Amino acid sequence: MARVALFVPCYVSLARPADAAAARTVLERLGDEVTTLAGLCCGQPAFNAGARREARQVAAEAVRSVRGFDAVVIPSGSCAAMAAHEWRTLFPNSPVAGERASRVREFTAYVAAHPNAERLSFRLRGVVAYHDSCHARRELGLTETVLGLLARVEGLEVRRLRYEAECCGFGGTFCVKLPEVAAALASAKAADAAASGARVLVSTDLSCLLHVESAARGLGMELEGWTVAELLARSLS
Amino acid sequence: MSYRERAKSEIETAQPEAVLAPILRKLVEDSAEALAGMPPDAREAAARARAASVADLEGLHARLREAFERRGIHYHRAATASEAVGIVQHLLRRARRVAKSKSMVAEEIGLTRALRQRGIDVLETDIGEYIVDLEGRGPSHITAPALHLNRTRIRELLARAGHDATDDDPQRLSRLVRDTVARFFEECDAAITGANAVIASSGRVVIVENEGNVALGVSHPQLHIVVTGLEKVVPDEAAALAVLQVLAPSATAQPLTAFTHFVADPLPGQQRHVVFVDNGRSAIAADPRYRDLLRCIRCGACMNACPVYRVAGGLSYGSVYMGPVGAVLSPLLWRDGRYADLPFASSLCGRCSEVCPVGIPLHRMLLELRADAAQAEHTPAVERLAWRAWAAAFGRGRGRTAIAAGRWLWRAARLLRRPRPGDPRTLPPLGPIHTPASLAPAGPAGEPPPPPPPLRRPEPLLVTFRERAATLGAEVTDAYTPEPGDRTVEAAAAVAATGSVLLTAEAADRRGLLRADRVVVLVDADRVVPYPADLEPFLGDGEALILTGASRTADIEKQIVRGIHGSERLTIVLRGAG
Repeated sequence: MARVALFVPCYVSLARPADAAAARTVLERLGDEVTTLAGLCCGQPAFNAGARREARQVAAEAVRSVRGFDAVVIPSGSCAAMAAHEWRTLFPNSPVAGERASRVREFTAYVAAHPNAERLSFRLRGVVAYHDSCHARRELGLTETVLGLLARVEGLEVRRLRYEAECCGFGGTFCVKLPEVAAALASAKAADAAASGARVLVSTDLSCLLHVESAARGLGMELEGWTVAELLARSLS
Repeated sequence: MSYRERAKSEIETAQPEAVLAPILRKLVEDSAEALAGMPPDAREAAARARAASVADLEGLHARLREAFERRGIHYHRAATASEAVGIVQHLLRRARRVAKSKSMVAEEIGLTRALRQRGIDVLETDIGEYIVDLEGRGPSHITAPALHLNRTRIRELLARAGHDATDDDPQRLSRLVRDTVARFFEECDAAITGANAVIASSGRVVIVENEGNVALGVSHPQLHIVVTGLEKVVPDEAAALAVLQVLAPSATAQPLTAFTHFVADPLPGQQRHVVFVDNGRSAIAADPRYRDLLRCIRCGACMNACPVYRVAGGLSYGSVYMGPVGAVLSPLLWRDGRYADLPFASSLCGRCSEVCPVGIPLHRMLLELRADAAQAEHTPAVERLAWRAWAAAFGRGRGRTAIAAGRWLWRAARLLRRPRPGDPRTLPPLGPIHTPASLAPAGPAGEPPPPPPPLRRPEPLLVTFRERAATLGAEVTDAYTPEPGDRTVEAAAAVAATGSVLLTAEAADRRGLLRADRVVVLVDADRVVPYPADLEPFLGDGEALILTGASRTADIEKQIVRGIHGSERLTIVLRGAG
């Protein structure tokens, strides 16, 4: 039985805390001893904005908090990439930060690689489209892993988007600081999702989903964003 | 004006996405396919070649000066933009009319405007550059300057400039410009070109182009001036070929451009000068965080793939260098803060780094530049204050309180916010409202993403060569009937993967080739090699010219028009193909 920390991204606590509970359910079904860590942030918002000193302060708190676990599981490609790669950038001389960063896994990747993964069975009838988050795709290389896991859900048809490699335009503070550009990107992604014929968009990253949903909502399109964690928890039998 | 203001205004007035999205989406997919036709290690080889340049710029320049001396090419080096302009002005002191072809460095130093202010009549001879020169807003793309303009707008611009542009057919519009340029070349006093690589070991200048205006420029009977960046020097021919293998596929999804020039000794009676512009490059080379940016071969793949570029266009950057590479390069070349907000014009999706054929980690550099901008307090004061407050919460165990406050703010924003024009986004409600009912589809599945291009199966070289050359509009035969107006030359070698032929020494007489009604190239079947990199032993030491299809342009809505300067008829006679 592995001792794992479920590191809840700050924006998940903010916008959809139930997703953290869903992730916890799946991890427990895998037989892990799960500690939920909420109220933390990986430091990415400030890091991406260039505010390195503030990013260090916040990441330091996160590094301190993930002490003593076999794995640190983060249900977000973006936060997982930040923790796994950039904690080392922020603390280049800290072996502790490096060691803890090396235990970070994105939730989907962790579940897919878990020794007990084969014991779980997932069943959910319906159709979803897959949104490949840029950080899950490019920083973590998870596209095939996520699709592989979704393919294990019995009764679920997973459709791919025609322009799967294109960013949804969230980008953290980017979507606030350049609203016209970000809105155009989110609208394009919403249109691509609509063209898939699915009404549910699934992704590792809630941030992307909320952004695409916000455009779809404004444009009067019917689209729901479900995280992989929510989808898996609902399909557990 | 800030990036945001320019982007907002572009999106509102010009809607660049409508023009750009279909073009760029196709281009990115076609580029991947074109690269798949090159050797599997083409990108690594190009990255290594460029890294070798950047690692030893000064050593390579020392060797290059010697090689230039042997050839009688004049070497100049300018520390700043104004010094570079001064050198060119001095070289042109007796010139009144100057034909200029595309050069990003010339844009960077403001050369055309500076020369015109001195009373020199400068003509932009690249069709796209000619058009954006008429428009007066500068290029919007590094390799396709007029990408933001549709054919209707281009016709208007040409008509306003006195051209007889009666309809907006890209072929007719392209040829209108071509005729003006061709007339100008007959009576101009000098030609200015850029360069894609300058070879330190041999002193040859490598320039790629599609239209033939560079062919006319480098063969100007009196004066040819090259203006290029310090970093364009490469160690040897192998390095230049490694760059060429990825340049055109990444830029325009062509296997190679129509003309690849290896320019050697000055012609009898001609002077050739090469002006190397530093203008901040040495400082970039000295900074390990940004040094690898100097690998850049100006292919534009990063902007082709960039989502921000796709929706806001190239003019939004307000710099001669646009897209991701422009967002990195501009603040490093102009260190006065005027481009400090460009590194923020990215969602950090990382696609630029992914497609860069020479392995520049562009989005990592954007992050570093953001840190620099914050450090220099080029970011808004209110933003810096907000980060401090954020760090005080999440850095000291008060994250839960901050999140609770955030939830109230979210609810308030949902109540107060009204969608604004140009931004339809509306915050979704907090918490899940999902039911399995949503899993019922609204319609049938759309088109899936295309699979990654398969690595091309090696076919017999001659089969590939015939197929590639024919795709480019060349006629490949085993025998031919001579026609009056033919120019018949012997190829030193040919390339299967690109359908190209290599002409060397007298066979590479550019003006002779352009004058012909038809170019006939005789190729021995046993001289067909697999890839451009395999041409190295055949390049000789003098003039060399790789022809890849007929002269062409795609400067108007990316539509290919063949036969610009030079015939659209290229016949390749394969001898001994059995």
